[in-house]
Parts: sequence; C-alpha cells; structure tokens
Amino acid sequence: MPEYEAVIGLETHIQLNTKSKIFCACSTDSWRAPPNTHICPICTGLPGVLPSLNRRVVEKALIMAAAMNVGEIAPESYLARKNYFYPDLPKGYQISQYDEPLAGNGSFEFPMPDGNLRRISIIKLHIEEDAGKTVYKNSKRLIDFNRCGVPLVEMVTGPDFRSAEEVGQFLIRLRQLLRWLEISDADMERGQLRCDANVSIRERGQQRLNTKTEIKNVNSIANVRDAVQSEIQRQVREVEAGRKIESWTLGWDDDRGALSKMRSKETEADYRYFREPDLLPIQTSSEDWAATVSQLPELPLARRSRFSADYGIPDYDAGVLTEERSLSEFFEAAVAAHGGDPKRVSNWVMNDVLRLIREQDTSAGELGLRPDELAEIIRLVERGTISNSVGKELLTQVQGSDRTPSQIVEEDGLAQVTDFGELSAAAAQILEANPDQVAAYRGGKSGLIGWFVGQMMQESGGQADPKSARKILEQLLEG
Amino acid sequence: MAPLEDSVTQTSQPDPPITPEIFQHLVRLAALALDDEEAEYLRGQLNKQLRAIRELASVDLPEGLPITSHGVPYPSETRPDLRRDEVKPSDKADAILEQVPEVEERFIVVPDISSTELE
Amino acid sequence: MRTEICELSAHEIVARLKAGDLTAESVLDATLARIEAVEGGTGTLEKAPNGQNGVHAYITLAEERALAQARAVDRALEAGDDPGPLAGVPVAIKDIFCVSGTRSTAGSKILENFVAPYTATSVARLEAAGALTIGKANLDEFTYGSSNESSAFLPTPRNPWSASVVPGGSSGGSAAAVAAGEAALSLGTDTSGSIRQPAAFCGVVGLKPTYGRVSRYGLIAFASSLDCPGPLARNVRDVALMLQVMAGADPFDATAAKVPVTDYLDGIEGGVQGMRIGLSPDFSRLSYPDAGTGELRELTLQSEIERALMDAAERLAGQGAEIVEGVELPNARYGIPAYFVISRVEAASNLHRYDGVKYGYRHAGEAADLIELYRKSRGHGFGPQPKLRILMGMYVSGDQYEKRYYERALRVRTLVRQDFERAFERVDAVLAPTTPTTAFEFGRIYGDSVAMQYADYLTVPANHAGIPALSVPVGLDNSGLPIGMQLMGPDFSERKLLRIGRALELAVEWQESRPPLVRELVDA
Repeated sequence: MPEYEAVIGLETHIQLNTKSKIFCACSTDSWRAPPNTHICPICTGLPGVLPSLNRRVVEKALIMAAAMNVGEIAPESYLARKNYFYPDLPKGYQISQYDEPLAGNGSFEFPMPDGNLRRISIIKLHIEEDAGKTVYKNSKRLIDFNRCGVPLVEMVTGPDFRSAEEVGQFLIRLRQLLRWLEISDADMERGQLRCDANVSIRERGQQRLNTKTEIKNVNSIANVRDAVQSEIQRQVREVEAGRKIESWTLGWDDDRGALSKMRSKETEADYRYFREPDLLPIQTSSEDWAATVSQLPELPLARRSRFSADYGIPDYDAGVLTEERSLSEFFEAAVAAHGGDPKRVSNWVMNDVLRLIREQDTSAGELGLRPDELAEIIRLVERGTISNSVGKELLTQVQGSDRTPSQIVEEDGLAQVTDFGELSAAAAQILEANPDQVAAYRGGKSGLIGWFVGQMMQESGGQADPKSARKILEQLLEG
Repeated sequence: MAPLEDSVTQTSQPDPPITPEIFQHLVRLAALALDDEEAEYLRGQLNKQLRAIRELASVDLPEGLPITSHGVPYPSETRPDLRRDEVKPSDKADAILEQVPEVEERFIVVPDISSTELE
Repeated sequence: MRTEICELSAHEIVARLKAGDLTAESVLDATLARIEAVEGGTGTLEKAPNGQNGVHAYITLAEERALAQARAVDRALEAGDDPGPLAGVPVAIKDIFCVSGTRSTAGSKILENFVAPYTATSVARLEAAGALTIGKANLDEFTYGSSNESSAFLPTPRNPWSASVVPGGSSGGSAAAVAAGEAALSLGTDTSGSIRQPAAFCGVVGLKPTYGRVSRYGLIAFASSLDCPGPLARNVRDVALMLQVMAGADPFDATAAKVPVTDYLDGIEGGVQGMRIGLSPDFSRLSYPDAGTGELRELTLQSEIERALMDAAERLAGQGAEIVEGVELPNARYGIPAYFVISRVEAASNLHRYDGVKYGYRHAGEAADLIELYRKSRGHGFGPQPKLRILMGMYVSGDQYEKRYYERALRVRTLVRQDFERAFERVDAVLAPTTPTTAFEFGRIYGDSVAMQYADYLTVPANHAGIPALSVPVGLDNSGLPIGMQLMGPDFSERKLLRIGRALELAVEWQESRPPLVRELVDA
C-alpha cells in the first residue's frame, strides 16, 4: 500500500466585530434576539435601497491583512455581486469581492505542539456581507434576516495543510490572533468563525492536486479536525478500493460524528459576478497601508519569544501568558511594577490570576485587579508582611476596591503575627490543651508538627507566620 | 452548460443564435415560468438584440483601454466618505414584515427546497 | 386662453403663495380639478376598456398626503415661517420611487401591492421643500421602454398633444402629467433617455443630471451605473428650481458625489453671449439596424427635426453664441449596442430580489417547492420587458461571454466618454436633437425590442458618459407634435446647461400652451 499524504486548503469566514452592519446602521449583535428585529430596508434588500460601506469593516480587514504578512495592497479593490437565488439572501445577490479582492499573497505562521513552526500561504482575503439564517420547524422553512449584512472577511489559504492536526492548530491560532487584534470575537459556535475545508489525497512525493471534496458547516475546531481526519481516511479507503474521488460537498453531522454528502457543487460561472455599481472601488493609499502595518500590535508568536528571552521564563509560561493579549499585557505591566523576579510574577499570574479569570469568566483587562496591585501583593508576601494564603485572598478583596492592598492589610489587620512573645504564649497554650499529641510527638511522631502548626494558624485566624510558628513549636516540643 | 461552452471556441465566428437549448438554460437560471408562445417571442427578440449587440465586435479597442464603471470619475475630492461605524436602529422592522406574504412568529415562511433541485 | 392655477409654473406658484395671492390648498384643489377633467382614470391591473378617453398619467393618486402637505404649507405661511422653496408646488412622482406609505409599483404586477416603508431621498427633499406629492406617475414596467406601452397598469399614458401617439418613456406618465397640468413638476429617471425622450415627445423640459448629482436612494434600480433621477417641468427655470432642492450628496448613496451644489437660478437669465455651442454630425447621421434584416443602415433625422436643430443653432448664434460645427463624437453610434449589454447585466441582477417571498406579488396557487414558487411568481409577475432584460443579462454575463460582451461594452463606454471629454475641450455644450423622430403611434414599435431601444439612440451617449443633458422643446413638427433639443455639457455643468437652455427656450419663443388633447378634455 502506497503512502498517502493529505492536501488540505481552508476557506475561512470571519465575522468582524464592528458595531453596525457592513452596509447599513443596524446592529450586528442579534444573538438571541427575536427573528427579524435587527433589520432595515437596506439589509433586507427592499426595492430601491443602496449599500453604504462601513469604514471600520475596511480598516479591520486591512489589520487582518497586515497580520497575515500581506506585503502590498492594491490601491483599488472592487466589490462585486455574486448572483444566486436563495431565500436567506434577500437581494438575490451577495455583495462580495471577486477577482480584485482587498488583499492577497500573505502567509500565517503558527506553532505546532511539538514546537515546530508551520507556515501556511494566504491566497486571498476579502470582505463580504453575511446572509440570513434558515430554521426548519414543523417541516417549514423559516427565514430570519437579522444576520444579513453582518460583515465577514473571507480568507482562503493555499492547499498547504498536510494533516487534520495542522488544520486544528491553524484554527486555534487564528482564533487567538483574531481576538488578539480585536477584530473578531471568533466564537465558532456562534458562527463568528466558520471554516470550509477542501480535502484531497495523493501519493507522497507527487506534486499534482487530485479531485477534492469540500467539507462545510462545521461548528467547532474539534469537529473540523475530526471531519478532515475522517475524510482523509475515507479517501484513502476509496482510492485503495480502486474507486474515484468525486468532487462532493460534504456536511458534518455533529450527533453522529460523521460526514454526509450535500448538494453537488455548483459551477462558479453561474454566479455571474460583476463589479457592484452601487459602490465605488475601495481605495487604500500606500500611507494608510503603511500606517496599518506600523500600528499592528506585537503578535502572539513574537511576544511569546520575547517573554522567554527578556524575562527568562520557561517557554511554557510564555505560551500561557500570551494566549490572550490582555493577559500578556497584564503580566508585562505586573513585572514592571514588581521589579523583581519575573518567574515569581509569572507563577502568580498563571496560577492565581488565571484562576480568577476563569472563575469569573472575564479577561485580564476587565478583571478589576490592576497589575501594580498584583505586584504590591506579591511584594507584601515576599517581605513576609502577609502570608501566602492571605495574599491569595487579597486578590479578590482588591478587585473593585478603591483601597490599595497595603491599606487593606493595615486597616483589616491582616498582617502576619511574627512577634515572638505573642506566638510563644499561643504555642504554650496549644501544648497544654493537647497533652496526648505532645506525648505522641515526643514519642517519635515528629510528623505531628504540621498538625500543631495548623492549630496555630487556626487560632490566629491565619495571621500567624507559619515559619515562625513552626520554629517556636519545635523549640517548645523538643525543649 | 454544454451548448454555451461549445460556442466559446468559435471566437472569430459570428455568434450562433440563442438556440432553444441555450434559451432553456437561461430561463432556468432566471427562474422564470414561461408558456411556449411567450418563450418563442422572447427568444426571437433576444436573437434580434444579439444581432444589434454584434456591432460591438467591430469596435477597434486601443490596447490597455480601461473600463468605465460610472462614466463620471470619482477623484478623492468628490468621493463620498465611507460610513462611520455607528448603530442607528431602524424602526421599520414591523413595516418590512407587513409586506411579507407569509409570516410566522416574525419568521418569513418559504416552501422547502425540493430535494431534486438543490440538495 | 386664461391661464388656470394648475397651469402656473412652479416659481410663479411659490412667488404668489409667498405674496399671499394663493394658498397651497387652492393650488391642490385646482390640480385635482384638472386631474378630474383630463385624467380619465388612473392605471389599473384590470383590463381597461378600449378607447377610454383621458391622459392616464397616474397609477396612484395621493390626495390625502398632498392635502396634509398643503395645509402644512398654509399653516407655515400664516405663521410667517418659510414654507420652503417648492411650497405648494404639485409634483408627480414617477412610480419607480419609494414613498413611505404609498404603493410603489414600478409599473409591474410583481410589485402590485408593495407599500414602501421608507421614502426615497429625492422625494424626501422635495417634500421637505414644501412640494405637494400629488401621486405616482405611470411608466414603462421597471422603466424598461421608450413609449410607456409596457406598463402593467392600463390604460397606459397618452400624449397630451395627440391621443394616438405615445408620450414616450419610460417617464411617460411624468411628462404627460406635467404637459397636461396635472402637476407642475415631475420627478423622473433617465437611464438611456427616459426623462429627455418623453419630455421631448410631450413638449416639456427634462433634465438628466450628472450621474451622482441626485441621490438614487429609493429609486427602484434598473441599471445602477446609469440611472439618474431628474426633473421634468414646463419651463427651464422650474427645472432649475427642482434640481436645486434635490441635488447633493446623500449618506445613503455611496455614488452621490461630494460636489458642492451651486445656485442653479443664479445667472440663469445671463444668456449665451460668448459661449461655444457644438453641433455633431454623429448626432445627425445615425447608424440604425433595418427593422427587417437587422443590417445596419445609415439613417437621417426626421426632416423637421433637422430643420429645428439648424433653427435653434441660428437663434442661439443670434443671441451671441458661437456655433462650432463638426464636433466629432464617433463612438456615439455604439451607445445602443453597449447599452444592450451593460444595462441588461445590471438589470438582471437588480431583478433577482423579486421572488414572491419578501414583498409584492406571490404566485397564489400551489407551488411544489421553492424553485417553483420563484418561477411562477416571477413568470407571472414580470411582463415581457423585464423578462427580456433578465434573459439577455444572464446570457451576456455568463462566464464564457463576460469578456466578449460585458467587459467589451464597458470599454466601448470609455470611448464614448472620451469623445465627450475631447469635445468639451472645444465647446461649452453640444446641441443635438433629443430624438430621431417625434412621438410615434401606439403599437407601431412596441413589440420590436430592438427598434424600441434604438429610440434612445441620441440620448444614451450622455448616460454612458455620465454627463448632464437638458432637453428643451423648440417647436412642433408638421403634425403638431413637439420637437425637443438637448444640450449636453461636462460633468456637473448643470448651471451652465440651464442657462443655455433658458436662452434657447426664449430664443425659439416656445409657448407653454395647452396641448390639444387637454384643451379638448377641459372644454368637454
């Protein structure tokens, strides 16, 4: 049996997170809204209406292009009409771009779990409007136009993927990037990031492209990976059995975890694309493009290497801390405010701050805990003013408070008790109240020291400094 | 599609007329129900129009001549600005639905797509 | 003949209203009385009885809307407020514009019951200026025609100069309404001549503004890169007044140019002294397909039109204009073939949205599935003219033909444009006949879609080039039918064109007379 390799290209649709739709002033946010409430004459294509292009859509798409390493932008690109009948397409054509898209010739580099980098070519990137939604209910077809006119970027990759795993990683990193750049919320389950995959196989070493199938309508990264994987396996089985691959369109059935055949592929000629006469060409001056490129923030991959290099933290830490942009910024600001060992700050952020973010379903930017406050808490712990556990509790107390961590510690009496006399008196009391345990300890069960420390902590309401308490207890027990 | 593609190769020849087969293809694309008499009239007129359109083939087009999209050029001084990203909710949603022939719980109702046509 | 109130020009109405000589309500009453006398029934989808006498300019009358507007104007006047530059002026809106709360049919069964929930920008500006929206004027179905015979709403409009000839199209109802005193002004659209040709046929003034001068928002689209809303009126000053109100950028139309609107009435009486006005041989010798064989033949203009052109040129020269002969516009002859392609591609796409699902006509019987619902709604809802445009649009934009037809046509369009750019280096404006013939008889051309399209031979070049063109009546032919001359100028030269047009109107001593059919109906 020859060895096969998969050849996969992706067509992704990214919903831009503008406030208003691409061609009208209706809100883009209609999640859970009743049907046909976020509509107007323009996005429902009433006779006589005209589109009016949202500037932010172009700006966000250009940011996207810059992040995809697009070198040059055509000074003019054109919107085009893609004509077809479908009930969720109220004008009978979609305003999209065709042979003169906003951008092309880019690439996207992302890390694989083994640490290697993969580079995927971006063939084209264009803007277009979304269509409405169809719901099936009681054997009726019901149309909701709320989503009509929501802005999309369509991005087409080269046939550069060689495995389902690569496709999955690409989507994870693309999602990360989109959120990083604040151009899309990229929630696949809400359709904000959609992906069609073109899959074919060939014998390893061959260069030609074989007949491909197209997988559509998959709504999570895991499912895309599974769907691509199962299609690769199906094609191998077909070819091994001497059958031809036909250019089917396949849909993913989430419940069954299986692919099924959809309608046969339409030919592109039937769309009869032509330039949209209702809109002027999109002009991008070389100055605007240069500004977009220069204002692009540091991207996750670059920030990750810089964190490792500059702060001397492990690559794993750098990866976690750059998962999300506001978290990486939080970390960096906390390191600066702290001024000490970045690894210590990294530990606090990765363990405690991230836990808070997950528990509270928020982001570092909206946590209500400032990086300098975290730095202050860490310093309080480092100096021994407060215990580690008080420090962790302080995190939530500082959230939304207008008092500084030091103020809270002082005013609420949270500082650790390190006074020798006070601790000795308390220790003596505990020994006196627990003669059995004292006897057992002195009889050789030295592991009980932890139990005694625990008693001390309990008695002091957590304010005793555990190290000092242990030392005093040991002296009393052994003395 | 086949009859249309055949004619592509004959670029130097005069255009073949729109045959009943090509016409039927166009009618399908256009989603039009036509009776036979109307279809014959329309096809005859289209062929007559094609003869007039053929005059375009005789125009000597200079190399690199650009296309004109609107006649009037739009230099940057006269180009309208792109729209600002601001939400202005429309109050016309109900009036739009009032025009819809069949509505159910604010959804627009359409018959299903036949499995033989598109599925 | 005593001038009735409904025959006053728009600027006279405004002046007399402001002077307190008239009320808007009395203007409305006079206009409705004229409509009552001459209209003879508005268009309906029912089979109209034959031989019904009347002008039949309208599809829908909007008396209540107009009455509310008239009362608002009168209240403003009483309160000493400015009632607006078109206060109390009755306007007929071509039924291709959406007007909130009124039926907007486009002259088609497929929009028989469509009530727009919004108002076109041009109409909103007219209404804000105090105009009275009298009603929606009949037109060729979706504006597809040059005789107004293709409307689904019958009877179709008559020419007020003779009941046996067409009013022209597609703004036939608009031109007929203005000529018959059923409105002082009308808002029309011009894609290949649809304002100028009916204006010429009905003896009124019509302006196709520069593309992008007047917003298209709310104009039910035919060919989006060519459509221009514009005014029709009984004199040049009224056209200027109406354009003034409508012109200018619009956030709802991305092609409405950000060009400042000048004062079109300022200097309109300034005359043509020193202006250079061109005549083009390419607008006198026409390359026309033979009706039978389709072979191209050279045709000359109807002789009275040729004479009227020379007469107009001489009179302008008499006013001090310099006439420049031999201005070459050699690519104008390709205007119709190129238009056959460009307009059809855009129209087919623009008509995609009419499917019986969202608004308008829906096939009433059973439809087995969605595709059948589409086919039947569109098949029964559209008349032959939209169908022809859809099918040709599908044909020439097919992937295998797109370069050969559509792209080629757009390049030919560039040649047409370049002709004019060169011409306007030499002259301020080109003077040419608006139409090759005066109004033709009902049924003579309708049915022959090629001959009908060629009726726009002289008007379509300005649409390709995007330039403004003003048609002015200059006299009558031997049968007593009006002859129109058009002035074409550079982009956004409306002010100058109106000034020349005003001079031409005075020079040819055109009288705003009561056309024969109107006289007959009013006397009866």
